[in-house]
Amino acid sequence: MADERVPALEVRGINKYYGGVHALSDVSFRAYAGEIVGLVGDNGAGKSTLIKVISGAHEPDTGEIYVDGQRHHWRSPLEAIEAGIETLYQDSGLAPDLTIGSNVFLGREKMRRGLLGRLGFVDQRAMEREALEDLKKVGISVPLSKRTVAELSGGQRQAVAIGRAISWARKVILLDEPTNNLGARQAIEVLDVMRSAREQGLAVIFISHTLPHVLEVTDRIVVMRLGRVVRDAPTSGFTAENLLATITGLDELRPPPTPTA
Amino acid sequence: MSTANSAPERQSERHGRGASRLVAILANQQMVLVVVLIVLVAFFWSRNHLFISSSEIGNLLTDFSGLALLSVGEMYVIVSGGIDLSVGSAVAVSGILGAFAMQDMLNAHYPQVVVLLVGTVICALVGATVGAINALMITKARLAPFVATLVMLSAGAGLALVFTGGAPVGLDSTAIIFSASGVGPFSYPAIIIIVMVAILGLYLHASRYGRYTFAIGSNSFAARAAGINVQRHVASIYVLSGALAGLTGMFFYLRLGSGAPTSGQDAELTAIAAVVIGGSSLFGGSGRMSGTVLGAFVLTVVTDGLIFINIQPTWNQVVVGAFIFFAAALQALRLSSGGLARLLRPASTSEESTGGR
Repeated sequence: MADERVPALEVRGINKYYGGVHALSDVSFRAYAGEIVGLVGDNGAGKSTLIKVISGAHEPDTGEIYVDGQRHHWRSPLEAIEAGIETLYQDSGLAPDLTIGSNVFLGREKMRRGLLGRLGFVDQRAMEREALEDLKKVGISVPLSKRTVAELSGGQRQAVAIGRAISWARKVILLDEPTNNLGARQAIEVLDVMRSAREQGLAVIFISHTLPHVLEVTDRIVVMRLGRVVRDAPTSGFTAENLLATITGLDELRPPPTPTA
Repeated sequence: MSTANSAPERQSERHGRGASRLVAILANQQMVLVVVLIVLVAFFWSRNHLFISSSEIGNLLTDFSGLALLSVGEMYVIVSGGIDLSVGSAVAVSGILGAFAMQDMLNAHYPQVVVLLVGTVICALVGATVGAINALMITKARLAPFVATLVMLSAGAGLALVFTGGAPVGLDSTAIIFSASGVGPFSYPAIIIIVMVAILGLYLHASRYGRYTFAIGSNSFAARAAGINVQRHVASIYVLSGALAGLTGMFFYLRLGSGAPTSGQDAELTAIAAVVIGGSSLFGGSGRMSGTVLGAFVLTVVTDGLIFINIQPTWNQVVVGAFIFFAAALQALRLSSGGLARLLRPASTSEESTGGR
């Protein structure tokens, strides 16, 4: 086991209540650099809540978050971003009227040098150029003829959104259902992009309902059910059947008596 | 889209580009506006040759600058996905309060230059205050921009009458002389405003502030996720729009030599018309400042031209309405022909890949 290494991300004993609902109970897991961790579970299992806690959108009621062994306590998404964690929310998307470069650099614009920069002017040409380079680094090539994101296909948009997150992430990237609403071919390309993020030494956390994708691309799978982590094991130990059984809870039921021959 | 792709892909690219070029020519709103402008000027000139005379050109430029300043502020708001219906009332209220202050200062025999400068600052501050109230209603009370600024439209117009009893405030001949003199056909107010409009246009398209404005109008959720303080930015845009309306109030004070409660009446509609005719989307996120400036110019030519050929100025609003209709129809055409171009493209491009290695 890789336990002697310091995990890129570790959450310990996270609890989160919404009113009387115990949305997360004692959730702990680790993600190491250069590893893709699948986070799966049925609707209401607590995946989205956990993502929001890790990305700083919600504060946990109890529990600790460590990045590279350092304890963090953040109150806003910006603080999580500053700690090196990028999140691709399920439906955040991009600003369709803006160029690819403006989208990739949104919120972190490159400013012009000198007085113009101090007056708030951006270096658009540098942003367009570097955005395409950054995207290429993670295996995404975007047609140069397309100016705004609105001109891209759905798959290309998702690729740019992921590429944006990966190129900014320094340690951890959280991808919430990144292959949703994509055709089979585009989904496979998104999986490729995730692999290249792993090769770059990021810890990738992949939330998905599409179990074949999870089984194909992840190194380890964390299964959640009713706010708890019920299984955390290398992907090699899962099959489509027993993964589904773990998610639904069928594995904890006594197997039906097999008819004797 | 991956580099390894071969002939059919390239062919379809070429296909798409050809179609989009056609769309661009058909639906380039600014190109159409220039043609409309030439036709309008030629028409008014053919009816009355004095339409192209140095005095009328000077008049036209001054009238244009007032509308342009208002439209620029309105455009920032519209690009951010909002609307500001209160700018006309902000013009009136700031012009009136500025006029009261300037009257007092003139009576106290302050130098003219000081009076006008202080008056300008007061007008801008009053306008910014109107904008700040809009901003509070929109970001804190969570009212829709349409409702919040409608409140200020109504309240401002009412206050303008309350403050003045319906009569103009003051009669400042120095102001009129200042606004009528200048360099060549350009009056001093026109020169100042044209420089301001150029800077504000550049700022919208090339600064981080402008980028955030477009981003919020395009997808405010994405803007928030990118770490932009959306509420604060939106608030600042309404303050900016109000301040520019306040400066437009000063502009009307200079032209009339007084602060009139009727100044800026219906101006919000003309300003919104200029922005829409200029090609900005009312849904936010897109538009060019050059289009707004052209739109303001076309509307000024129409307004002044109708007076020149002795058509009742009451027809003005009807003609503006017709222009908005044609601009909207053009936008619809652009959208649908964009859709048409997509349909014309071979299927291979519509199923473009996500971006392989």
